[in-house]
Amino acid sequence: MAQELKINGVEREFDDQKLPPTLTDLLEQLGINQATVVAEIDGQIVERARFAETKLRAGASIELVRFVGGG
Amino acid sequence: MLPIFYEMKNAVIGIAGLGGLGSNVAVALARIGARKLIIADFDVVEEGNLTRQNYFIDQIGRPKVEATAGNISRINPDTEIQMHRVRLTPENIPKIFAGADVVAECFDLAEQKQMLVETVLTKMKGIVIVSVSGLAGYGNSNAIKTRRISRRHILVGDGETEARPGTRLTASRVGIAAYHQANAIVEVVINEIYGTESGSFNGTRAQNKRS
Repeated sequence: MAQELKINGVEREFDDQKLPPTLTDLLEQLGINQATVVAEIDGQIVERARFAETKLRAGASIELVRFVGGG
Repeated sequence: MLPIFYEMKNAVIGIAGLGGLGSNVAVALARIGARKLIIADFDVVEEGNLTRQNYFIDQIGRPKVEATAGNISRINPDTEIQMHRVRLTPENIPKIFAGADVVAECFDLAEQKQMLVETVLTKMKGIVIVSVSGLAGYGNSNAIKTRRISRRHILVGDGETEARPGTRLTASRVGIAAYHQANAIVEVVINEIYGTESGSFNGTRAQNKRS
């Protein structure tokens, strides 16, 4: 059975057993540099230092705000 | 006495970084009578900054905090300025911006932007942060948008255009982002913090800080 994560409001399906285990794994899969992301899971901010230990569960709603340089 | 917006009379705004964004945000808020600006930057004004930052030839070599304070005193001497010539860190940010109602993220580097936004959201309860991502170059004015990410986080920018070596940075495009940012701050101050017309709370700061 496929599993889902909601990422920035968009449902994303992962094949059975392929759900990224942690937030770090998800960001790697998406090709996003961790150092530039502010992340929220189900409305709760996750500090960058905790990305690697933050486990993802199917159905979670994840908001990723990615910063690019310039200012 | 300049004509001011009464809601701004109590507003205390933190400005982190005084480059193209911060130097312009500071001026926009002083013009409409912000009570106090807490400004932080470790750098000095350089000649190359003048294409887009709100400084003058005779300020080259001066710390940006002092140059910005000087400019503001010529626009609105009633706006109090608290200067911090420091590099901001997760440790000093909550102390430096203690007492601010809103903090403006006006840094240049992506990692620094991340650090500030995360620090304010996790360590400064109740404070709203207005940050910027994607403003480099010129043209495409309408790609720059203001979005509310959450109750405490407002994000300005096109979300993707990165400043890289060789990018031609302009006052016109960084100015659009800076004024989006200042405008979002004014809106939050009037509608959510010190306004009396909003039904959701009564304009008292204590209530806002608790929520």
